[in-house]
Amino acid sequence: MELSFTAEQENFRAELREFLVDWSELEGFLLQGTKWKQVSQLFKAMAGRGWLSMSWPRQYGGLERGPAWEYLLWDEMARARAARNPLSAGIVARTLIRHGSEEQKNHWLPAIRSSELHFALGYSEPEAGSDLASLRCKATPRKDGYVIEGQKCWQSYADDMDCLWLLARTGEQDDRARGLSLFIVDLDAPGVSVKPIPIMDGDSLNEIFLDGVHVTADRRVGPENGAWTIMGEALADERHIQFPPGRLQRDLAEAIDWFSSRGLADDPLVRHRVAELSLLVEEARVHALRVLALMEKGQPAGVEAAANKVAHTDACQAIARALVELGGPEALLHGSRPELLYLVSTWESIGGGSSEIMRGIVARQGLGLGAEK
Amino acid sequence: MDFELNPEQGALLDAAETLLSRSAGTARAEQLVALYDAGEQSADGYDHDLERALNDAGFTGVALVDGMGPLEATLLTSAVARQAGCVSFGANAIVAAQLLGRTIDGPVALADTALPGPVRFAAQAVCLLVADGEQLRIIEAPATDLVDVDSNFGYPMATLPAELLAAGDIVEGVSAHRMRALWQLAASAEAVGCMQAALSFTIEYLKNRRQFGRSIASFQAVQHRLANCAVMVESARWLCAETAAHNAPAEAAAATATHTMEAATLLFDDTHQLSGAIGFTTEHALHHWTMRLQTLKLELGGAGAHALSLARLRWTDAEG
Repeated sequence: MELSFTAEQENFRAELREFLVDWSELEGFLLQGTKWKQVSQLFKAMAGRGWLSMSWPRQYGGLERGPAWEYLLWDEMARARAARNPLSAGIVARTLIRHGSEEQKNHWLPAIRSSELHFALGYSEPEAGSDLASLRCKATPRKDGYVIEGQKCWQSYADDMDCLWLLARTGEQDDRARGLSLFIVDLDAPGVSVKPIPIMDGDSLNEIFLDGVHVTADRRVGPENGAWTIMGEALADERHIQFPPGRLQRDLAEAIDWFSSRGLADDPLVRHRVAELSLLVEEARVHALRVLALMEKGQPAGVEAAANKVAHTDACQAIARALVELGGPEALLHGSRPELLYLVSTWESIGGGSSEIMRGIVARQGLGLGAEK
Repeated sequence: MDFELNPEQGALLDAAETLLSRSAGTARAEQLVALYDAGEQSADGYDHDLERALNDAGFTGVALVDGMGPLEATLLTSAVARQAGCVSFGANAIVAAQLLGRTIDGPVALADTALPGPVRFAAQAVCLLVADGEQLRIIEAPATDLVDVDSNFGYPMATLPAELLAAGDIVEGVSAHRMRALWQLAASAEAVGCMQAALSFTIEYLKNRRQFGRSIASFQAVQHRLANCAVMVESARWLCAETAAHNAPAEAAAATATHTMEAATLLFDDTHQLSGAIGFTTEHALHHWTMRLQTLKLELGGAGAHALSLARLRWTDAEG
């Protein structure tokens, strides 16, 4: 058991904090969509230091650093509220590195590493949310490639992205997860249209319609009908950076500041609640470190990652709730800190695999509670 | 003891629901917001047409009709909220009716000088009832140049300037505490309506939404949470009814508001969590009720303040 980071890693954390001073007003972590222009500048600056390709092999321009380095990077990014880890340099690049052809790697990785190219996630559909394996978007083989028909939803800032990382059906509907393939589709390709879906905080998400979109065969990543396994691998590759406790520590610090600035620092109800919230944050922090420790050893961490997501999202919702309930009536104003944290945190337990799915993983895979036949 | 509506109450609610199904509903709420957002002149987010219809049909003044009282006004307040009506019905039919012995012909806003922050319908109100320490003040035809704050929480709201809050006439013989108790009841009744509608809407959606080859509502983990919500809403509903039937005694009103606003937290969280991403979209009607719950939860200082007022009253009882 080694419960600390190395001195070298702590130095890296200090370097990150210094770097992030210039980005402290960005708020890209909470508002990645509306702040995309500035966030993309930040990503460019990070790319210049090799930080977007920190764990990639050297032959593809990476720094070949272990999971702890990436953990520190995204933990500090979250604490600074600067940005969330991009899909491009994460899931997309990891999948290309593991399963792409040499041509694909040479074509896509340099542009991803330098932050020239960004991706929207094309997994969910109106009728396939938690049950992703039932998706219907269809890629039919044609001479030179595929023709894609279907609909995807819940992309958060598709207008600013270049490509769609698309999961589509290449097998039969009854094949479920075994009939899916991954594709890269240009978002400005003929037949692709993006339609905003207004959401209740005044912002919007997007639906993406694919109407007879032609892609060449070299846009399929990994084997035909083999997407499910490789998606799982890519997800597993970044479990340690998905729900960093730095975000919670920042949320709690802001809640305490908010209470103090409104003369509530001595209110016993507030103080008691802050103590409870501190414990939730600590709980989530040790879960995150547990995931990291397993990743460092190259061991599976699916159950631990699910537990971490539950602990993390419960904590961030509890902090936001306390702010709204105890922080005074300004919580009702659009753009107030409590309102923003409340609406963002409500979404966290739904996006990226709902808490129900996560608890199911803990119960079935962790506790061995299979359904009775 | 009878938990059923009597025939008069049943007829009253049927008639109100007929009116509401015609003049209110989520499509109407959507339309009001769209007009308001588009800056349409005369569109102030408040449903003046619905209010007129409720007044003309005699629903607003129901508590002052012989044989009827605050209970009937409370049942109607929940009914208006179930249909997402954006009117100050509870403030008028429950609070004004009991404090003034009359109802107001137009929007009513409720405020407390000790509680800063945005006030529902402040910019639309033709009558402000203000709790100021021990005193109750009434401000009729207040200044009309108030501007609504920017908020996503379901009602037009504005911040009242201190000089306006300090204006008006003292209502003799009525204490501000009485107003606060009636306000707790009115806010709770409205929250109950929002919760009932949010829950039944969510249950219908989850029965029809299929994932993993079955309806989401068929998962036991989901059923348990919906059942929990139902238990909380039902108790809020009956606490409201009982408090109203006794004309809002202070302790009962505080207990009702404490419970109801705690239930509102659960209802918001669970209906949204179980609905998934679609629950965040404005095309899915859930937000019409849940976002308002957030505003109602914070009125009068919120659930914590209701709980403190309850504890204070219990202590007084014990010492008295």
